[in-house]
Order: sequence, then C-alpha cells, then structure tokens
Amino acid sequence: MKRASKIFTALMFVFLFAPLVILLIFSFNEARSLSVFSGFSLKWYQELFRDTETLKAVRNTLVLAVCAAGASTVMGTAAAVGIYRMRSRYLRSALDMVTNIPMINPDIITGISMMLMFVFASRLMGLANSLSFLTLLIAHITFCLPYVILQVLPRLRQMDKALPEAAMDLGCTPWGAFWKVELPEIMPAIVTGMIMAFTLSLDDFVISYFTTGTGFQTLPIRIYNMTKKTVTPDMYALATIIFFVILALLLLSNLTDSEDSQRLRAARRAKRAAAGRPPMDPKKRRILYGCGGGLALVALAAAVVFTVTETDNKPQVLNVYNWGEYISDGSEGSMDVIKEFAAWYEQEYGRPVQVNYETFASNEDMYAKLSKNAISYDVIIPSDYMIARMIQEDMLLPLDFDNIPNYQYIDEDFRGLYYDPDNLYSVPYAYGIVGIIYNANVVDEADAGDWDLMWNEKYAGQVLQFNNSRDAFGTAMYRAGIDVNTTDRSQWDLALQSLLEQRQSGVVRSYVMDEVYNMMESGEGAIAAYYAGDYFTMLDAQADTVDLRFYYPERTNFYIDAMCIPSCCQNKEVAEIFINYMLSKQPAIANAEYTWYASPNRLVYEDPDYVDEMGEEAMAILYPDWGDFSEKYNAYAYRNLDNDLLDYINSLWETLKIN
Amino acid sequence: MTAKKKRSSLVTGLAGGPYEVWAVLFILVPLGFVAYYAFTDNDFRFTTANIVRFFTDTSTGGDGSAVRTYLVISWRSIKLAVISTVVCLVLGYPLAYIISRASAKAQKTMMTLIMIPMWMNFLIRTYAWMTILQDTGILNNLLAGLGLGRVHIIGTETAVIIGMVYDYLPYMILPLYSIMAKMDHRLIEAARDLGCAPAGVLRRVILPLSMPGVVNGVTMVLIPSISTFYISQKLGDGMFFLLGDAIEGQYVANNLHFAAAIAFILMVALLAAMAVMRYFTEKHTYGGL
Amino acid sequence: MDKIIELKNITKSFDGEVVLDNISLDIYDNEFITLLGPSGCGKTTTLRLIGGFETPDSGDVLFMGERINDVPPHKRNVNTVFQRYALFPHLNVFENVAFPLRERKVPREEIQQRVEEMLAMVALKGFEHRSVTSLSGGQQQRVAIARALVGKPRVLLLDEPLAALDLKLRKDMQQELKNIQKATGITFVFVTHDQEEALSMSDTIVVMSEGRIQQIGTSQDVYNEPKNAFVADFIGESNIVDGVMLADRSVSFSGHTFPCVDGGFGPNEPVDVVVRPEDVDIVPEEKGMLRGVVTSVTFMGVHYEVIVDIGGFKWMIQTTDFVDVDEHIGLVIEPDAIHIMKKSEYSGLYGDYASFSNEFDELSDAESEGEE
Repeated sequence: MKRASKIFTALMFVFLFAPLVILLIFSFNEARSLSVFSGFSLKWYQELFRDTETLKAVRNTLVLAVCAAGASTVMGTAAAVGIYRMRSRYLRSALDMVTNIPMINPDIITGISMMLMFVFASRLMGLANSLSFLTLLIAHITFCLPYVILQVLPRLRQMDKALPEAAMDLGCTPWGAFWKVELPEIMPAIVTGMIMAFTLSLDDFVISYFTTGTGFQTLPIRIYNMTKKTVTPDMYALATIIFFVILALLLLSNLTDSEDSQRLRAARRAKRAAAGRPPMDPKKRRILYGCGGGLALVALAAAVVFTVTETDNKPQVLNVYNWGEYISDGSEGSMDVIKEFAAWYEQEYGRPVQVNYETFASNEDMYAKLSKNAISYDVIIPSDYMIARMIQEDMLLPLDFDNIPNYQYIDEDFRGLYYDPDNLYSVPYAYGIVGIIYNANVVDEADAGDWDLMWNEKYAGQVLQFNNSRDAFGTAMYRAGIDVNTTDRSQWDLALQSLLEQRQSGVVRSYVMDEVYNMMESGEGAIAAYYAGDYFTMLDAQADTVDLRFYYPERTNFYIDAMCIPSCCQNKEVAEIFINYMLSKQPAIANAEYTWYASPNRLVYEDPDYVDEMGEEAMAILYPDWGDFSEKYNAYAYRNLDNDLLDYINSLWETLKIN
Repeated sequence: MTAKKKRSSLVTGLAGGPYEVWAVLFILVPLGFVAYYAFTDNDFRFTTANIVRFFTDTSTGGDGSAVRTYLVISWRSIKLAVISTVVCLVLGYPLAYIISRASAKAQKTMMTLIMIPMWMNFLIRTYAWMTILQDTGILNNLLAGLGLGRVHIIGTETAVIIGMVYDYLPYMILPLYSIMAKMDHRLIEAARDLGCAPAGVLRRVILPLSMPGVVNGVTMVLIPSISTFYISQKLGDGMFFLLGDAIEGQYVANNLHFAAAIAFILMVALLAAMAVMRYFTEKHTYGGL
Repeated sequence: MDKIIELKNITKSFDGEVVLDNISLDIYDNEFITLLGPSGCGKTTTLRLIGGFETPDSGDVLFMGERINDVPPHKRNVNTVFQRYALFPHLNVFENVAFPLRERKVPREEIQQRVEEMLAMVALKGFEHRSVTSLSGGQQQRVAIARALVGKPRVLLLDEPLAALDLKLRKDMQQELKNIQKATGITFVFVTHDQEEALSMSDTIVVMSEGRIQQIGTSQDVYNEPKNAFVADFIGESNIVDGVMLADRSVSFSGHTFPCVDGGFGPNEPVDVVVRPEDVDIVPEEKGMLRGVVTSVTFMGVHYEVIVDIGGFKWMIQTTDFVDVDEHIGLVIEPDAIHIMKKSEYSGLYGDYASFSNEFDELSDAESEGEE
C-alpha cells in the first residue's frame, strides 16, 4: 500500500511536469520547431529579451495580476467580514449565492457578459471606446473576488468569537480589535486567497480576451494571436524563466517559513533577552511591516502610473492593430520596424511617438471588437473582404494620399481591386496565394497537381484541412469550380457534401490553423493547403525525414492584406505617416523577408538584394508570372458575404464538425 | 435600535458595502445583459427565436438522418466534461489523500508542486501537450523505442480529455486537499477501532466527510471543461466542436444574440445542475462546508 | 461598602425570547460575587451586559453611579476572563498579557515590569516567550487571568473560567482565584453552574433561573434559607415536601406534625418544607416520627446515601449508619432542621428522589457545560 501510493504519487507528478519539461527542452532548440530538436542554442532567450512587445505583454500581465490580486484581496476580505457579521439570514444567503456565480459561470460567459455591459455602459456615457485597462481590471477583480471570499469567510467562522470581544474588553476599539486580533487570525486565509487571485489573473485568457482594450494586451492574448506563424519558441524560453523564478520564490518562502528560520527567530529573541533588551514591541514590528507593505504598494503604484503615463500621456500616440507575427520585429537579426519607426519619426518631426502595437487572431476577431466601438486604433491591417465590409459600413476613413507619397511604388496590378475600386481607403501590405504543400517522402508526385490530392483516399489520415469555414469551403469550391462568393445556397450545400465526404472517408487528419507548421514540419501531416509564404517558413524547420514541396492548383485563393485607417482613429496624421513609412524601402523589405509573403511594393520585389535573399525558387513561387494579377484576383478572391449567408455557412460548418 | 447597534451595523455596512455594490454592478447586471441579448434580435426587439433555434436547428448526421445540431454539440461537450471530471476525481482524490497524510513539510512541497504548472500559461501548456501526444511525438517515440508500438491519440476525444484533465486537475486537488488536511485523523482510528476495514473506513468515514471538497472540486473542474474551446481546438485537431467553440464561433461571426442565447442556456443548465448537486450533497453530508 | 455596579430593572431578549426578565442587582466593591444557575438562566448574558457586549432592551447598567448602557467595552474599566480564555493565538504569552497595556500606551519599561509581576503572580514566570497554543489548559487559564488583571480593572468578570479544567486543577484554581481576589482587592463577578464552586468561593451568591434572580445572599443564606423550591433543589440536596403551617413554629407534613423554628405564615397556609438529607436521623422504626422502607443504598465514601419510601414519597438521607435495602426504619427531624418556604411556581417540581440517580445528575451537568 505504502509503496503503491508512492508510485502513484510519482506518476502523477510526472504527468503534471511532463509538458514543462518539454517546454524547457525546446526552449533550447535551435530551430523554431516544437517537434524537431535540431541543436542546442540560447538564441530564443536572446530573442525574448529583445522582443519588446512580448516583454511589454509580460509586464502588463504582471501589473494586471498584482492590481487585481491586491484589489480583490482588500475588497474580498472586507466583504467576508461584512457577510460574517451580517444579521439578516436572507441577505447573507443571497450574497453567498451571488458570490458563487462567477465561480460556476464559465469564463466565456463571464467574459461576454461583461463585454456586453461595458459596451452598453460606454454608449450610455458617450465614451469613444468602452474597453480599456480599467475594464480589464474590473473583470479580473470580479472573477478573483469569490476565491478570496471563500478562503477568508470559513476562517472567520472558525475563529473563536470571543477573540474580538476579548480585545475590546482589554481596551481596543472595534476597529482596533479587527486590526490587531481578527486580521492576524485570518491572515493565512487572506494570503492564500491573494495567491489564488494572482494565479488566476495571471493565467486568464478568455475573460481578458473579451474585456481588454487598446494599449493593454496581456501575454495570453499575445500568444493566442500568434496565428499567422504559430507560437514562437521565445515563449518556451519565457515559460522556462517563469518556472525557475517561481521555483526560486517558493524555495525562498519555504526557507523563511521553515522550522530553521523559526529557530533562528527564537535565537534572535534569546539574544535580545540576553542583551537585556525587551522583546520587540509589536508596534515597532507593525511599523516595520507597515514600511515593507507601504514600499510594496508604492512600487506597485509607481508601476501602474508608469504604465499609464507611458501609454496615455505622451503627446503622440499611434495605435496599430495587426495580425500576430505579421511584422518584422527584430527577431533573429531582422529589423525592428516599430522601434525604427519611432526613432525615425522623432528625428524627422522632432517629437517622440509612442507606438502601441497590438495583434488580433482573425479578421472577424478584429471586426467584432471594432464594430462595437470597444476599442480604438489608428492603423489596422485587415484582409480584402473585410475591408470591403468595413467600407460598406462606414468604418474606414478615406486616406489622404498626399501624405502617402510612397503609394507610387504599389504596382498597378494592386490598384482598383474589387474591395476598394477607387483606391480611397487602403494601401496593400502583403498578398498571398493558397497552394498545396506536401511531403514528397509520402506523397506520390503523380498524385500532386490539383485539389484532388486533398481528397485522395490513398493518403487517408494525412491531409490537413483549414480550421475556418471560409477557407475550408473554399478548397471544396475551387476544386468543383464553384464561385466562392456565390449567394446560391445549394452551391454551398454541394461544397459541404464534398467536405463531409472528405471527412467521413477518413482523409482529413486534422482541421488546423497555425498548428499546420508543427504538423507539416514533423511529418504529422503530409498534405495541407496553405499560403505560399508559409511553405518557406516550414521548409526552414522541416525534420530530416520530411521533404516538403509546393504547387498551385489551377483555381485558388488570392488574398491581400492592406493598411487602413478605421473611423475611430485618433491621430490620422501620424497614422498616414506610419503607412507611408511602411512603404519605404527598408521596412518594406524587412517585413517581406520576415513574413515570407509577397509584397505589392516595387521597392521590394525589384530589389536585387531581396531577390537574392529569397532565392530563385521562392521568387518563382511567391511572385508567379500569371499575367494580369487583378483579373485572376477579382475572379477568385473572397468577397464580403451578407450576414444571413454567413450565418448559413456557419451552420453548415457546424454540421461538418459534429459529424 | 440603540446607538451601539447602529454603529456596529454601520461598520458591517462599510465592510460589505463596496462588495455588495460591486456584486450587483459586475456580477448580476452583466448576467442581465446576457439574458437581454439572448431574448432580443439584432434590433433589440423581444424574440425567443434565439432560444428556439438552439433546440431546433438541425443538420444532416453521418447516416443521413436529421440531428439537432446544438443538442449534439451539447451532448458531446457534456460527455467530455463529465469524463474529464470523473478522471480528475479518480486521480485527484487519492493524491489529495496521500498528500494530506504526509508530513507537514512534504505536504507543503507537494501542494506547491501541484500549483506550479498553473503559473505557466495554459495556452503554452496545451501546446506542449500537442508535442507529446502527436503521432510523431514524444510519447509515441517512447512507446516505439520500448517496442510497444504507436498509438494515435491526438485528434481523438482521449487527447481532449487528457488536456482537460491536465489543465484542471489542480482545481480538483486543491479543495479536496484542504478538506482532508483538516480532517481529524482520530476519526479514522476510531472507525478502525470500531471494526471498520480500510475500505469501509474510506466509504463510511472519509468519503462522507470529504464530500464538500468533492462537490467543490467537481464544480471547479466541470465548469471550465464544459466551456473550453482552446483545448478542443488544439488537442482535438479541430475535429470536435464543443459548446465553447459554438459560443466563440457565433461571437466571431458577429452573431452576438445567438451567442448570448447559447451562453444563457448553458448558464441556466449549470446553475440548475449545481443547485441539484448541492441539495443532494448537503442532505447527505454533515452540514456541508 | 460602596455599590460599584448596579443593574436596574433590566430586560433583554434575543429573537423574541426573553433571556433576562426585569432583573435588578447591586454589586459592591471588593466582593466576590457569583452568578449561579443552570444553563440558559441568563447568567452569562448578565455578565456580558456588565462587560458591554450586550445592551439591555430596557433598564439601566450603572457603574459607580453612572449610566453606562451605551459605553462600549473598551471604555469600561471592567475586564473579562472568557470561558475558553480567548487568548490571541498570534501573540506569545508576554504579548497577550501586555496587550491591554500597549492599548493604553503605557511606557515600555512599565509594561515590562507589570507583565513580569502579573506572570509571577499567576506562577508563569519563564513562560514569556512561549506560544499560547503550546500551553496546557491550566496555564492558558492563568495567562487569561493575568491578561485581564494587568490593566487593574475595578471589576473582573469571569465566565465559567474553570469549566474546561479537570476536577483536581479546578479545586486548586478555585483557591488561587480566591487568593488573587483577596490580594488585589478587585471585585470579581464569577459565573458558574457548579453550586459547590459557588458555595466555596463566593461572598455573595446570586441564584438565577429562567431570566430571573431567585435569591441573593451569602453561601450560608442560600444553603440554609433557600427562598423557594428551585433554590433549595439547585443548591445541595433537598427533600421538599408539601406541608401546612398549623401555627407559628408548628408544621404538618407527611401525616405528622413537627415543631419548627419558622413563623409568620397565615393559619393553615400551605407551604413547601425543606429538609436537608444530612439533617435526618435514622432510628429504629418504632422510635421514628416518620416511618418508611429503604429502597436503595449507595456508598459515597464519607457517608451512605439512602433513599427511603415514606408513604409513596422518596426521601434522600445521608447517614454514616448502615441500613439495608427493604429494611423498615424510622426517621427523626429536629426543629431547626426544618425550613419552611412560601409556595412558589417551582413548588412540586423538585425534591422527590423517585427517579434519582447519580448518573443522571452528571449527565445533565455535562450537557449544561456543553451548551454555554
């Protein structure tokens, strides 16, 4: 029995720590893969300390967790005392029930419900954007509160009721009795509650996702938004560092709490006594503790003020909202475009500019937040069909092209496209074409060439399909020659049949988004439709056993992501300067090299160094010579569909998923 | 009322007051908004269409027959959540018991170790599980190395369950442990003394006494696992669609009212389930918490 | 002697249940006064009214002639020793005792000196830095007393302070408390349900029942001259029988007329007659004023406890002579052993030993300890 329980305990801890060990090992990986270990390297640690956006997210997360834990601990403790002393039984049980609600409500409901309320309230108050650090903090305090209360309340109920009475009897005021006797009694519970609140706040993604506003992205949100190129290994480095910091903190606290230290304290006391000095006056000790606590509070306040001033009070602020992993960020020796822009701007205009660069995971995600006036940004980079929709809904401002002289370098091919026929609202940033990536070690060359490869039963369990409705339906529709923008529902039904067949025949291994990288690199999947640029990212990290190839089927998806200025923009002038800067040679090339997507900018694709850097094969694939780009583009690109049809497609998608 | 009573109720009011206001503003009012959105259409006119839609939307099932889309999704969500919760309980209960019987120092160390993974971001933890579970992953390489053959786990319900169990196990262990640590060891001795076999002690003494912890643990695991969307996306290879995915999908598709309707139904169902569970456990244990 | 505390017509109820029903009580300086009664009689509530933890619904609490109904506990020059001591677990012995002094901002040197003195008085020298949770029950008790006395209150309230101690320790502490009270000259208001404890320690005993004061008096008063059947039964053992006062100094009960020492009742007034078990002499049947059959005999150490059936009423007799069960015996009662009481609401409720057993007594004792 004894032995069995030891083995069981050991196994459980192996289970709990296995993923952490993986993170630890792969944080030292040379390649960016989380599947293939290609050599020891410390480069991700260097990357991490250079990655200002991630460090900012870490700081935001910590500031938030400290504030939320602090506020919920104070309020929760007061609430527990209030509930404990409450005379009315009905009121008490009602409050008990309300307290339980955030605990038995799923995160996603808490998040959505709070967002709905904040949006509504700010509309009532006429605020420009409803979500901010404050709303995020309120949400975190709200879901942390019950954990504090449920720690403190039982401890209060266990306490000898005579203790506060004894204190008052001996000369304390009721307030003094609480401070000097009750508080020390419930202190352990308060500390536990605070640690729980801190932990929960630190780890929360869902509620933050719905309630955070401009200028305050937390680490979980940043990680979630890394959809364009999958999670980068500097995150594993970060996790490893967090792990060791916590370990060190825990060891330290164990040390100070252990019997050793108690013995030490006793010895210190004995020494005081031997020296003829009385034991330390608790008042003095209180002052000491008070000083410590005060210092911590001041530090916290300073951190908050620092954050606030840094994001809000500088004269020039530019808020940029882009896809995750979609800008050259200085990693692996690349150019840090945002930082360089700030430096360049200050030099050029003699004023500093504070750029808040934040990310979203999908067009719809961005749209959902912007359309509710929940947040405000100055520059956004959505995709074509979303631009069309936003123009239609008056959500974009026309650009002043006098301020964007570099627009001249955008090729004619990328002007006057369907989503912005009069070139008023958008400046193309990057474009891509969907092709099929396959592992030549598994797939017979003869089977490659068109969409049928993704339906080929020979490769059952090896095909990776898109995990979003529009792209997945797209594959079936291009294959069948159906217009991907048709409003004829029966055509969509046909596409569903095709996808169902693909799924039920067991061809589909997974529905993926950014997971595609790891799966293709490691050989988990052999066939996937994805963007040309991403093929090269995968090529870089493929395992020895994998030999990735790429081709374009005849009909396929084209997309363009373009820079726009949303109507909630607060600083159009700087926004246009930024857009213009992005079109200038150095940053444009840096971005193209970083993302591996094709650039519509002549300064990029006509640059010999860039061409050289990319290599012949890449240039051929990224910039295929297909004659008139705009004709093909207008024929095959996704267009905005109306809400009813989108809803219909969504339900078709659900049908596919539940089968 | 005398002056003193007034004063003490004033103190009480001051202590609990901010929380009462807070609870109304940020717990009750937002829930009201969920209900409001659930029962209105895009122009905020009253409708029950969203609720009705949840129960009536049909799609064609694998065998060609019509199935109720959201009921199927709910059923799968509930199934996975319940299995995960049961597994958490089965693993967490003995572990909590073993820890609660260890030396004070070992207890502290082990509880800290259990807390540590919670400090790593759960998105990253889930990513790490993908690496372990995939066909070419560490687990399969290990099995193959031992000559045991490979297993296909990723993309199955098993993988989603493993992910949920991993992420939520600490939430099961914490409340169980805190109850068991407080349990009077003499009660167990007394039961043994009165002729109870170890199994009987477990069933007749430890289990009833730890019931409040079980209720709390089950609640804390069941709730997040019924509404998760990230774990099912990553470890389920996108093959499953759960309630969380449905809500998130509707939110992203800008179908806020239907998203609110799903959330509302889930909320009501969970509240009812919890009420029933608490009613029964309070009836059958000693004084609840 | 000066009145230090006066309770005037105090009524107090909780949730509609009357706990104190119009009680009035004077407490004098420098006395050891005990509130005695079964659980639920209102004695602890009375104490809490004096301590300031409760306010009366009606009536006044006076401290040295001043009304203090609304004075909070920390402003009253009264300290309490709580039932389970209520020592502060986060403070050590020294700091617990120093607590009230620090509250009053007494200079550090004086604190040091006064705490040391107090700890010496309760024989806890050398325990200054011990954690209070590591002390035994008796030691905790001493800390609680030292803590309550260090601030030199005018009155010390003690709420069943000895209830949690074992018998031997309780006896020692009783003596010690009495000595401390004498030494300090502080008024002690002591609450207990243990009549022996009350009798051995108190200058004045206040017997309470059902929210009312039944009798106030010295130990001898309440024992020898109980006012009613409740007091007679609660303090010591009593045989209480119905009687009729024929004239002054002549009473008839159990079918016999006895000479007695009481008077002042109306002619043929029905009364309760109290005879203490140790005041009854056993004689041969034919010499007895009363005759009965022995139904049980229990050896108690210094005496036997004999239950005798006299015409259907069971008497208890304590005697050093041995009698056997079923023996027919006679009883003799001296005039000064007969105490006559007016009829009261308690008449007929007490004083028959028909269902008596020692165990019952202990059981009910244990219960009342648990409740309060």
